[in-house]
Amino acid sequence: MAGPLLQDVPGQDIACGQALLTMEHVTKRFEESLILDDISLTIQKGEVIVLVGSSGCGKSTMLRCINALEPIQGGIIRLGEEQIDPKSRGLTSIRQKIGMVFQSYELFPHMTVLDNILLAPMKVQKRKKADITEEAVILLERVGLKEKAGCFPRQLSGGQKQRVAIVRALCMHPELMLFDEVTAALDPEMVREVLDVILALAAQGRTMLIVTHEMQFARAVADRVLFLDKGKIIENAPPEEFFENPKTERAKQFLNTFSFETVKGKDKQGK
Amino acid sequence: MPDLGLEVLLKGQNMERLLIGLLAALKISLVSVAVSLPLGILLGTLMTWKNPFIKAVLRVYLEIIRIMPQMVLLFLVFFGTTRAFGWDLSGESASVIVFSLWGTAEMSDLVRGALISIPLHQYESGEALGLSKVQIYRYIVVPQTLRRLIPLSINLITRMIKTTSLVLMIGVVEILKVAQQIIEANRTASPNAAFGIYLVVFLLYFFACWPISVAARYLEKRWR
Amino acid sequence: MKNSVLKKFISIAAAVSAILALTACGSQGTESDSQKAETQKEELTAGADTVYRTLDEIKEDGTIRIGVFSDKNPFGYVDENGEYQGYDVYFANKIGEDLGVKVDFVSTEAANRIEYLQTGKVDIILANFTVTEERAEEVDFALPYMNVALGVVSPDDKVVESLDDWNSDDQIIVISGTTAETYLTENYPDIPLQKYDSYATAKNALENRNGVAWANDNTEVIAYALQNKGYTVGIPELGSKDTIAPAVSKGNETLLQWINDEIKALADEQFFHADYDATLVDTYGEEYKEELVVEGGVTE
Repeated sequence: MAGPLLQDVPGQDIACGQALLTMEHVTKRFEESLILDDISLTIQKGEVIVLVGSSGCGKSTMLRCINALEPIQGGIIRLGEEQIDPKSRGLTSIRQKIGMVFQSYELFPHMTVLDNILLAPMKVQKRKKADITEEAVILLERVGLKEKAGCFPRQLSGGQKQRVAIVRALCMHPELMLFDEVTAALDPEMVREVLDVILALAAQGRTMLIVTHEMQFARAVADRVLFLDKGKIIENAPPEEFFENPKTERAKQFLNTFSFETVKGKDKQGK
Repeated sequence: MPDLGLEVLLKGQNMERLLIGLLAALKISLVSVAVSLPLGILLGTLMTWKNPFIKAVLRVYLEIIRIMPQMVLLFLVFFGTTRAFGWDLSGESASVIVFSLWGTAEMSDLVRGALISIPLHQYESGEALGLSKVQIYRYIVVPQTLRRLIPLSINLITRMIKTTSLVLMIGVVEILKVAQQIIEANRTASPNAAFGIYLVVFLLYFFACWPISVAARYLEKRWR
Repeated sequence: MKNSVLKKFISIAAAVSAILALTACGSQGTESDSQKAETQKEELTAGADTVYRTLDEIKEDGTIRIGVFSDKNPFGYVDENGEYQGYDVYFANKIGEDLGVKVDFVSTEAANRIEYLQTGKVDIILANFTVTEERAEEVDFALPYMNVALGVVSPDDKVVESLDDWNSDDQIIVISGTTAETYLTENYPDIPLQKYDSYATAKNALENRNGVAWANDNTEVIAYALQNKGYTVGIPELGSKDTIAPAVSKGNETLLQWINDEIKALADEQFFHADYDATLVDTYGEEYKEELVVEGGVTE
């Protein structure tokens, strides 16, 4: 359905090899417990990073810190040259450059699909309604939802809602896209349609940071895989290396829990 | 057809008196509603703030108004203010004050409930899209809150209209008092008049509250 | 009797303010708290002393506020043209006429009559107000203008004429909370009572012969016997005879004096007999005129 569709998205200016997001010695505490422990990371423009780890290891928190939804207790996060801080004044302008899609598809229930998409570009970026509408319709068509533009979120399936959420984020022309377990709440048959859209974005050269439990998808989409354990990045490697030869015991254990499932999957595929 | 004593309503100005009584009830309740809705929205919003002092003060206000029967409040405001401060409030003013105090308290609780029922993700989605705090309230939180509030506040408004029957205790002659007066005045001539008159009172209340429910249903449908 | 409801209201109010005072000042010993509630109560009543308007002030204002019932036919009610009518109202209009002021009628309920006087929200209460010692501590009563007693009505075929030597199988119907109930409980503890909440249910009970007789204010039972064939008031006056009188705020000497003089003066023209003829005769007939009317404030 999606495939190589999302290619000529306006506002996307891709130049690889340039640091887009940098995190230096970032720590995040929630009351007494340390959630992120001295994280340092650089994401280049055009890179697709997949963040994996067992639940509760701090993956989602890391995304939320990058989008300044959570304050950090130490270190610095920068997007390009600008520092990201929940208290800083330029926060809304930085947030426009970061698109985020959540696990629980949070469309605004009182607005149609189209109005959901138009709200932020119109009110935050003050762009012309006609222009954004045109763009939104093109994007909706590419994710196969053009005819749903006038529908309310409650009339859509989970997978459809997630695709709309992705379009809503894309319409802000973000430089970086964050995906926080966007398929975790979906029925299995809807997972594919959402992942296809993300794959298409990757093919197009988008800079993305993706948290997911879909290991095969991770392998297919990632330039690098980060393995997060107890608030630390303990593996940072290309997908082949990470999945074939994990360096740490923790990563091996983690991957083993999936290989069990993969065996079952292979049986079915091998017919 | 049983004798409902409806002929009593045709005597003199009885029907007109009932309607004037209805207007008296509506005047008190609608003025109070007009005061309660904005004040309730304001206080309800304050209740969701994290300031423990404001929270405690509002909570105490809400509980006191809730615990006290409206009749006690009417007596306190009508007679109590005369005793304590020498104010000579009219029955109507005292009623408007009491119903506004009560309506504001109930409304603020409804608003608080509706506000906290908006999931946190809604705020975060807005933030992630770069909307400012004001924009998040203006475009996301307030519209959803209003939709949730409509059926609840309609219920409150109709309750306020019906509860105005208590104001007869402080000398305000409203529809129910007029009904009692008519029934008593004709106790010997038309002993059955009570049925007919209460039926008419019921219909009048119904026609007063009905347009409000219709408007609410319309809004609910349009805004769903 | 209904007045106790009002008392309850005020004590609740006092309790609430005591609680508020408590939370405001932090907790203290229970003893001082109850004292505080007491003083607050006293303050509440103390403020009521000077609220009334004197005779001169009323005359100067040109309007007198008189509290009457608006739904107690035939004593105080509103007719189909919205005009106040009845035995009390007839007198109220005379007061206005002789004072040379306009009468502003205030619709009162049994439960709030004392409160209206204590807050000076009316100048006079003329609402079928029975004189009792308890009430006389809260308001000042003028000379009486009507008699009231308890009466007992029963079916013609077995008229109850005395409550002595009572057959303990027979029950008397009463309405809960009325003077009749209190009186019978105190003075005839051996008579079984059948209690009802409203006039209508008590009336049904008598008609279905659930009890042998119905005890209530004599004005009520007399009116009932006159309107319903087959019933007789066997005991028209039971127990002590009470009187009905105008009441003014405690201490309003000038107004009280004027009303007393007025009632005495009106005896010359037999005013209250005329009042009876105009307002009560349809309900009670000629028969009970001398029994009910008090002329010139003089009771036998």
